[in-house]
Amino acid sequence: MSILVDKDTRIICQGITGTQATFHIRRSLDYGTNVVGGVTPGKGGSEHLGVPVFNTVAEAKKEVNANASVMFVPAARVKAALKEAIEAELDLVVCIADRVPVKDMLEVKAMLKGAKTKLIGPNTPGLITPGLARMGIFPENIHTPGHIGIVSRSSTLTYEAVIATTIAGLGQSTVVGLGDDMVIGMGFEDILQKFHEDEQTKAIIMIGKHGGTFEEAGARYYQSLGVKKPIIGYVAGDAMPAGRRMGYAGDIITNGHITVQDKKDAMGAAGITLVDRINELPGELLKLFSCPYPLQNGKCIRKKK
Amino acid sequence: MNIHEYQAKKILTPYGINIPKGRIAYTVAEAKKAALEVLPGGPWMLKAQIQSGARNKGYFLEAPQNKKSGIRLVKSRRHIMAEAGEMLGNTLVTPQTGPKGKLVSKIYVEACQKVKKVFYAGLVIDRLNANVTLMVAETSEDNIEEIALTRPERILRETLDLQKGPTAHQIRKILDFLCLNSKSAKSLRSFIRGLHKAFMELDATMIEINPVGVMKNGELIALDAKISFDDNALFRHKDIQELKDDYEDEDRRLQAAKYNFEYNEFDGSVGIIVNGDGVALSAMDLLKRQNAEAACFLNVKGGVDKDKIASGIKIIMTNPRVEGILINIIGGFLRCNLIAEGILAAAAEVGLNVPLVVRFEGTNKDEAKDILEHSKLPLIIAENVNEAVEKLLQAMEESD
Repeated sequence: MSILVDKDTRIICQGITGTQATFHIRRSLDYGTNVVGGVTPGKGGSEHLGVPVFNTVAEAKKEVNANASVMFVPAARVKAALKEAIEAELDLVVCIADRVPVKDMLEVKAMLKGAKTKLIGPNTPGLITPGLARMGIFPENIHTPGHIGIVSRSSTLTYEAVIATTIAGLGQSTVVGLGDDMVIGMGFEDILQKFHEDEQTKAIIMIGKHGGTFEEAGARYYQSLGVKKPIIGYVAGDAMPAGRRMGYAGDIITNGHITVQDKKDAMGAAGITLVDRINELPGELLKLFSCPYPLQNGKCIRKKK
Repeated sequence: MNIHEYQAKKILTPYGINIPKGRIAYTVAEAKKAALEVLPGGPWMLKAQIQSGARNKGYFLEAPQNKKSGIRLVKSRRHIMAEAGEMLGNTLVTPQTGPKGKLVSKIYVEACQKVKKVFYAGLVIDRLNANVTLMVAETSEDNIEEIALTRPERILRETLDLQKGPTAHQIRKILDFLCLNSKSAKSLRSFIRGLHKAFMELDATMIEINPVGVMKNGELIALDAKISFDDNALFRHKDIQELKDDYEDEDRRLQAAKYNFEYNEFDGSVGIIVNGDGVALSAMDLLKRQNAEAACFLNVKGGVDKDKIASGIKIIMTNPRVEGILINIIGGFLRCNLIAEGILAAAAEVGLNVPLVVRFEGTNKDEAKDILEHSKLPLIIAENVNEAVEKLLQAMEESD
């Protein structure tokens, strides 16, 4: 199994006729992704990349029974497109666009409360279940099916983590880019929960970065679990100087916990194994998978006699 | 995007926020004229207009020994020009500017407002919970950073409804929490409603009034104001875009912004070109562990225009502090071959005079390597970021 997307997910692409969508959906189709249609207002009734195009998400749902969408619409139109997907009660939407106004996302998050739809992104490379489905812009050639779940807040470091698992000779169950915006859809805790419930996933890589308190929320969830799958974590931004600030509001809202070290502390305290350099990931993975003892709460601990 | 105090105050006035009478001044003569206009007999506040907090805790690089900050109370008209002269054209360093400080090119001259008590008010986006949160705290005795650190329970946080703003119940709660007299109730209501309305209408990400003053008649008045706007929403606020103060940005950052790239400068000597924040950060983390530091990084994000990418790379190649260039690209949206072509175009125009190490991964990486290998440029291709950092530092050492 995998999380969020598999071969039975019926995917449409919102904005399918655009240049970037065309480039990436063609690759997703070649990868075997079950893309069953697309939506571009005004182009309904036509065909693009061999799949039917509809005017609205509701129409696509009715005609081709779509239950997920990968969205390539430009930032200014994201709110309207997401509203359409939420109202059509799709299960999952992956929103690739960057530069989406944060107010629009606040309004979208309010719409998502109590709704059936789960949102990944915006400003994300999307998600991929290697060998089965690619929703987004992942370079698919670096992926292999396997047992490591990857969840990351940085696009490019997601790719680094994928490469690390490949170096370690392990593949990926599902790879999820949460998105790198001020306000995002699903958080670390949501994805960790899915990985926790997924049989195929044996261990998890969690990649954070400076800003926000998303990593802390993920760590809190992990801490609450009785039995833990191993997580190896990396948080980027250590070398980033504190930088210029405007006022105190940003510090107060996070209770002053704003540094990369704060995030590492929270993750470490929850039982997550941290690496200081991104290239240490393969070594840590190999350590886990060559542990001669049964793992205890996600760690390889030598049994005392 | 940030703006200055005087701009923020002007923007908030139509939202029903009271402000003291003030004028902006670029010269000492203007400062004196402004003072006499706003309040002929004084006293006045002279306030350095730089985009930073803690201006009252700062000092001027040119005269650190006199320990005078960027916010000054002036009681006599004889002192206006001297005080203004100590600020204008000099560099103010505060706990929030970094050690280099910021040049003060204008000051705001304001009528000094007598108040009975003061409090902090901040509206900000709670990223994790995806809402707009109002924070208030009484600051008559301690300043807000002290309270935030030592007694966070003295800060009240209220989540405001995106559309409706504060409820009557919330306003009552805030009034009680701040121990405000009931004659301030009406003013508090219009103050908080006004802040919320401005926040939503203007696509702000932060509005901070520190402090709000409570006058004798119970009315509230904003003694300072800071607003940050969402860069991603500026396309729908042409009037706010015009407030951008280019003095606050370095030239190269502005150049990069023209192409929609992100550019940041640091104190080291390595120029980094990446296609995402994450790979820039991990490269900087690796450099730090080898006791090296970045001079700057350029993030071309998901750029798809070859000419723009070439222009971006030129920004790094022509930075005199750059002694070596690290290009770390993991193509997803961005195709590696565009970067390779951009490197060639930039090098052809401005020349490549420092060691350059490239690491390509992902979309079209083989085409990209092919282009570089056939170019005869003296560059090094690395397989991963760790190797790239090591090879670059080695090459930089050898070229010394």
